Amino acid sequence: MKHDLIVSTENISVQTKRKINWGRLAPYIFISPWIIGFLLFTLGPLLFSLFISFFDWPIVGEKTFVGFSNYATMFTDDPLFWHSLWVTVKFAMLFVPLNIIISLFLAILLNKKLKASSLFRTFFYVPSVISGVALAMIWGWVYNGEYGILNYFLSLAGIEGPDWLNNQRWALLAMVIASLWGQGTMMLIFLAGLKNIPKDLYEAAEIDGAGKVYCFFKITLPLLTPTLLFNLITTIISAFQQLTLALVLTGGGPLGSTYFYAMYVYENAFKYFKMGYSSANAWIMFLIVLFLTMLVFKSSSVWVYYENEVKNSK
Amino acid sequence: MKQSKWWNVLIILTVIWMTAACSSNTTSSDVKEKDGKTVLRFATWDSGETLKIQQDIAKEFEKDNPNVKVQVEAYGDGFDQKLAASFGAKNPPDVMYMWDFSTYHQSLEPLDTFVDKDSSIKMDDFYEGLFNYSSVDGELYGMPAGFTTMVVYYNKKLFDQHNISYPKEGWTWDEFKGIAKKLTDKSKKQYGFGVTAEPDTYDLQGTVWSNGGSFVSEDGKKIDGYMNSPETIEAIQIYGDMVKEGTAVLTGGKNQQSGTDIFKAGKLGMYISGIWPLEGFKEAGIDVGTVAMPAFGSKPVKGLIASSAVSIAKDSKEKDLAWEFVKFYSSEKAIQMRTADLPVRKSVVEANNTAEDELYKPFYMMLENSSNTPAFLLNSNWNEINRNLSAAINAVMLGQDADELLNKAVEDSEKYVGQ
Amino acid sequence: MKSKRLIRSGTLYIVLVFLSLLFLAPFFWMVTTALKSPDELYMFPPKWFPSSWQFENFGKAWNSQPFNTFLMNSVIVTFLTTLGQIVSSTLIAYGFARFKFKGRDFLFMVLLATMMIPWEVTMIPQYMEFNYFGWINTLKPLIVPAWFGAPFYIFLLRQFIMSIPKELDEAARMDGANSFQIYYRIHLPLMWPIIVLIGVFNFLSSWNDYLGPLIFLNDQSKYTLTLGLAQFNGMYDVNMEGIMAVTFLISLPPLILFFFAQKYIVNGVSSTGFK
Repeated sequence: MKHDLIVSTENISVQTKRKINWGRLAPYIFISPWIIGFLLFTLGPLLFSLFISFFDWPIVGEKTFVGFSNYATMFTDDPLFWHSLWVTVKFAMLFVPLNIIISLFLAILLNKKLKASSLFRTFFYVPSVISGVALAMIWGWVYNGEYGILNYFLSLAGIEGPDWLNNQRWALLAMVIASLWGQGTMMLIFLAGLKNIPKDLYEAAEIDGAGKVYCFFKITLPLLTPTLLFNLITTIISAFQQLTLALVLTGGGPLGSTYFYAMYVYENAFKYFKMGYSSANAWIMFLIVLFLTMLVFKSSSVWVYYENEVKNSK
Repeated sequence: MKQSKWWNVLIILTVIWMTAACSSNTTSSDVKEKDGKTVLRFATWDSGETLKIQQDIAKEFEKDNPNVKVQVEAYGDGFDQKLAASFGAKNPPDVMYMWDFSTYHQSLEPLDTFVDKDSSIKMDDFYEGLFNYSSVDGELYGMPAGFTTMVVYYNKKLFDQHNISYPKEGWTWDEFKGIAKKLTDKSKKQYGFGVTAEPDTYDLQGTVWSNGGSFVSEDGKKIDGYMNSPETIEAIQIYGDMVKEGTAVLTGGKNQQSGTDIFKAGKLGMYISGIWPLEGFKEAGIDVGTVAMPAFGSKPVKGLIASSAVSIAKDSKEKDLAWEFVKFYSSEKAIQMRTADLPVRKSVVEANNTAEDELYKPFYMMLENSSNTPAFLLNSNWNEINRNLSAAINAVMLGQDADELLNKAVEDSEKYVGQ
Repeated sequence: MKSKRLIRSGTLYIVLVFLSLLFLAPFFWMVTTALKSPDELYMFPPKWFPSSWQFENFGKAWNSQPFNTFLMNSVIVTFLTTLGQIVSSTLIAYGFARFKFKGRDFLFMVLLATMMIPWEVTMIPQYMEFNYFGWINTLKPLIVPAWFGAPFYIFLLRQFIMSIPKELDEAARMDGANSFQIYYRIHLPLMWPIIVLIGVFNFLSSWNDYLGPLIFLNDQSKYTLTLGLAQFNGMYDVNMEGIMAVTFLISLPPLILFFFAQKYIVNGVSSTGFK
């Protein structure tokens, strides 16, 4: 390895001028796959959907230009828009913090040195592997008011459980719980982040006589903030895109209490075949999530520490 | 050491990538093998055993037409999504299953000219009512392939246990409610009847018609005075009331402990559905009976048809071949093979004595009374109106008052009616 | 002291076992359902174990449609997308994490933004585009885009690279290494745990992808496993034991993969070691 480095040093010193050019181009070369992919596969469809959001397009018929009327209808003449947005915000406010806390908690548990920890890790990850209809069936089996397993256990404890998915008050909470069950991805990312914290920091703190709580807040949490930022942003995005479970399990009910915004977009597109309107819906959601993400991202300079910064500040 | 390992990995990966690229070439070469044959794309929403029936019918067609390959595309319940994408990109399947003609008809090929040219198809052998379900504005867009009417399934064992005699054609909703009450035993979680919390409003139309109500006027231009008429309200309220009284249990949708599932568990006395779950009930070991829908007092019982037809896409490049397939699909031979729903041809019914079978008889009884046209064929904006109606009916099933809700649904929907 | 530690690890185990039950119970139900005969599927109170184990349910479900073909296609797609994601995402993430260049923050925002695009609306235009390329009914629309990186993985890797001390790069640069060599010799080995993590994630998402195959594939000979699974789930009827049996079989490969991959994720940097 060392030998190679020496060789390349010689090359570079000979062609200093070219090296500078390369240096400037290097970052663009590294990110070029993404730029090409973006131009090739993402930008076109994205612009097309923006374009189509100014049209009335029933998919099976012709497109007619309608200007901003799709957007106007949405804000002024469609109670479902506001309703589904509100449902999604409620869901996100419950789901995002709970998901972060639970997955972090599980990751910390699994980070302890244990004999069977690889088995437990697999167990906790199992729910993330199951997808689609089977998942909906499993939750139907859990939540059903009369014949569901959850209420069966509650009745053993003498509690009469509600009809979870047919009860306006409980259905959204039931969706939150079902979504939390599949937290394995976040847990793993936290786990990888925890493993990435150098052990000598803890050892040094222990010598100084610091307690567990102190260590968590002064070492673990600050050093985990890059991971936290990642999980926070991706959880927000996934909360706003939440669709599959509602689609296969509740269909948005009861009484629209699980009618997520993504479901609204989906139904406008594939149930009511209003592709133009649905594109306008989607663009509004896109802007909302983008705004939220930028907010989190901008704030991150205050609370996210990358390790080199921590070292410098010492 | 580490370095050489990395290089090895990279070389191996490249080799695999190359072989995979080549193997994907070989998959495109089997298109070539098909080249001698014309490929006809046929899309269905069927699954499991019924999908196999479609595949068998396609194979039969290939036997008669050796230079054709029928590509059966099974979209399952992603049917509408997939069709939307392929119609949007003008690359739809040549032939497809269809029921929602009011939404799709603009993209479908009218079949009248094909039918007129072809006398071998024997149009009068079909049950006439069925064409009504695949026509829009007087033009035929689909050939009937199969259908079902709605009947009441009942669990004979539960009836025997409670010493209730089996229901017979001509029974009334009052009797239905009485029986449901007797069959209900909460301690065993056993109920007389199962009601879907979010029913397809389509399925309720039979009950509404039987009470002399309807969702829209016959010309499709009015909903006020129809969707909120006392008859419609009464019909919808029956279901909600039975849930409230505890003689019916609320069931989930298709994927979560549906009424079908609970009937299979032997916990439901009666259940209203089409022919679809019949085989499953038998398989689950339920001693099942069927009977025509109950009547409102002395009013005539009205039946509701759910039909599936096969249609040709307007953008198809093989329309003549597609028609040959559609024709084959609605021929005696193919209909004979379709055992999962009811035969659409009278000759097949006669040959099989289907209408004499105790379990099948009520379906044909209901068919004879199925002269009403469902709402979605009457008003082109029905989807929008139905959004409000579904929400209202959902609320009724959860215990709210039908009168108020249906009036509100009418109010909210008025703006779509005239369009 | 020792007994205190024993109690502590004892409670830890109890908590972990309890949580495991919570996470495993539905999976357990899936397996028993797959093994039940039709008349036992819907019993209440539920039957925890089938009275006779219907192992042939697996075979029946698997042979009802050409699942071997589906498996083959799934393996091809999953393998090639995972490979593509690892190669491209590591390069891109390194570019974003270690350089200051004009438009970097803007481009990164765009990259994050692409994560938020709802697929409901880009699906149809994307279908049109692939249709134009002649890629419909081939595996290409599922594989090729993966070779251009995915924002989720790029973002994850970037966060990781940014937590690696810059001194390492600078030392190597002093030794005369160029940017690619720094990426290749220093960061790639260090990234190994995250690469495995991404491999697991991508394996799973590609393996379980339903919408992509549904939209882009027509012919049964091109179908992937999830599309095969969907053939038990029609518009009007559901074959529950079939779905459960196939879902169980489909979930085995990712679980086995995960079981063996996790030690690389967890042993992490410490074993690779800073030099």
